[in-house]
Amino acid sequence: MSHVQNRLAATASRIASVSPAYLKSFPPKEAFAPKPSSSQSDPSVEQKPHFFDAETWASLQPPPPTSLTAFAYRIGLGKLVSSPDPILQACTHPSFLPLHQKHYPHHSRPAANERLAVLGNSLMGLFATEYVNSTYPYLPTRVMKAAVSAYVGPTTCATIAKEMGATPLLRWNRVSNTPTRPAVLHQDAMSSIPRALVALVYQHSSLLTARTFVHKFFLSREIDLRNMIKFRDPKKALLDTVAKFGRERPVSRLLRETGRLSNSPVYVVGVYSGADKLGEGFGSSLKMAEFRAAEDALLRLYLARQPPHLVQLPTSTFPNKTGSIFKAQGGGSLYVPVQLGDAEIKYGAADKTGLRSPGARSVASFEED
Amino acid sequence: MAAKLATRPLLRAQLTSRPANGHVAFIPQVRKLVFEYCNKWPSSANTRTFLLNHLEEVARANPHVEIVVKQRTYREPIVRGLYSQYLSAHTLVYVLRPDPATTVNNRDKVIPLNGFEVTGIQKKVQLLLDASGERIKPLKRRTVESTTEAARGIWSGLHVDEPFKI
Repeated sequence: MSHVQNRLAATASRIASVSPAYLKSFPPKEAFAPKPSSSQSDPSVEQKPHFFDAETWASLQPPPPTSLTAFAYRIGLGKLVSSPDPILQACTHPSFLPLHQKHYPHHSRPAANERLAVLGNSLMGLFATEYVNSTYPYLPTRVMKAAVSAYVGPTTCATIAKEMGATPLLRWNRVSNTPTRPAVLHQDAMSSIPRALVALVYQHSSLLTARTFVHKFFLSREIDLRNMIKFRDPKKALLDTVAKFGRERPVSRLLRETGRLSNSPVYVVGVYSGADKLGEGFGSSLKMAEFRAAEDALLRLYLARQPPHLVQLPTSTFPNKTGSIFKAQGGGSLYVPVQLGDAEIKYGAADKTGLRSPGARSVASFEED
Repeated sequence: MAAKLATRPLLRAQLTSRPANGHVAFIPQVRKLVFEYCNKWPSSANTRTFLLNHLEEVARANPHVEIVVKQRTYREPIVRGLYSQYLSAHTLVYVLRPDPATTVNNRDKVIPLNGFEVTGIQKKVQLLLDASGERIKPLKRRTVESTTEAARGIWSGLHVDEPFKI
């Protein structure tokens, strides 16, 4: 499928389609031009022009309740709520409210998912962080944050919402970038739906049920952790890390080589701390092989993974009951805190991450004093 | 002064996860079935029998599917299955742009029901319920692609006890 066909299909999927079975009257009254009354039959009086945009009207109609119920069953929440109204709330983005207010000022304001999305986002962040921390105790902080973003970030949330089949259920309005507020794109609106659903599960059931929901749909997906770990100087980093663990200095040793004087040599270098081999790397030059060996050693440490049946999650201490988690008694399975690795080393003496250096003007004024 | 970064930075668009539908939880991709029949022509007779006698139990057994019945006079009967948008789990690299061959955008499968008996119609409906919405791909010519590393590792001539000597 070419790029053009893809875009056409994507745009077509976003255009709302309305089922007339659940409408009060179809065609809608707004579609018809108003009848000119006797006072307005005078040709000198200007008639008010009548506009009707079918696309806008379609995007204002709520999805049929059958589609909301079917959606709830598809994600295993069929028995969670008794009516499809909370699901409709979860699928309504706050950008929809001004549009609705403009066209139907006399109707009651529909419920939006802003608060639910915020609550769900916090919960998802909690569950993803504790999972990544317990599964990879030696992962560097930057990588851990990136992994959490990969698991429950906006792009993934939007993708998951599409896979769940929430595209025709979303009620939103596209908003362009203004100086006061950022733009609202389809991805932003779609990503609010899974967050709102997590909050819904938490509100109608317990925290642990919400955790199971997040584990099933978000944390069961595959992320590429190796690509997130970037090395600037793995030899130096390995030196510092080995020193931190109190082992002997790492030494690189050439294990195998072939074709040294040809145009395609291959060297296999191992990095050793005493008698223990920490890592191995190959390359077409000795330096390249040594670099890869140090990289391999560090990756073996950072990506050390706790087996799934031994992963201990702090939220297991919460009781598995409905109601306030602060008041509920009992529950809480045996929890043994996992040993968090202290392998992270920082490059250089002063870490400049996030630090803003002063501008030229302030430096000049300081020097004057 | 901040040191010049020797590594490529992490791009926010790269921070995604690959789909794993079915590994832990399974989300059925079919979301809607639309039956269109004619009340007058005899080609829709079996479809009408199916709709009257068997459709309700199909709907009860599949609460995740929205079922719509429409009348379409003087036309052959059809059943249309509508599917969610997703990315195939076999995508190897989904970094910044998805592979168009494996992205499915709200596809639908349409099956004409004229010429089928009621049991045949049941089978076609079950086919739609089991489908993923992906285009039918011939699997004979495709090479095996895996998203995970080899379990036993790739053979290396330098990691054997006796390396080959010319």
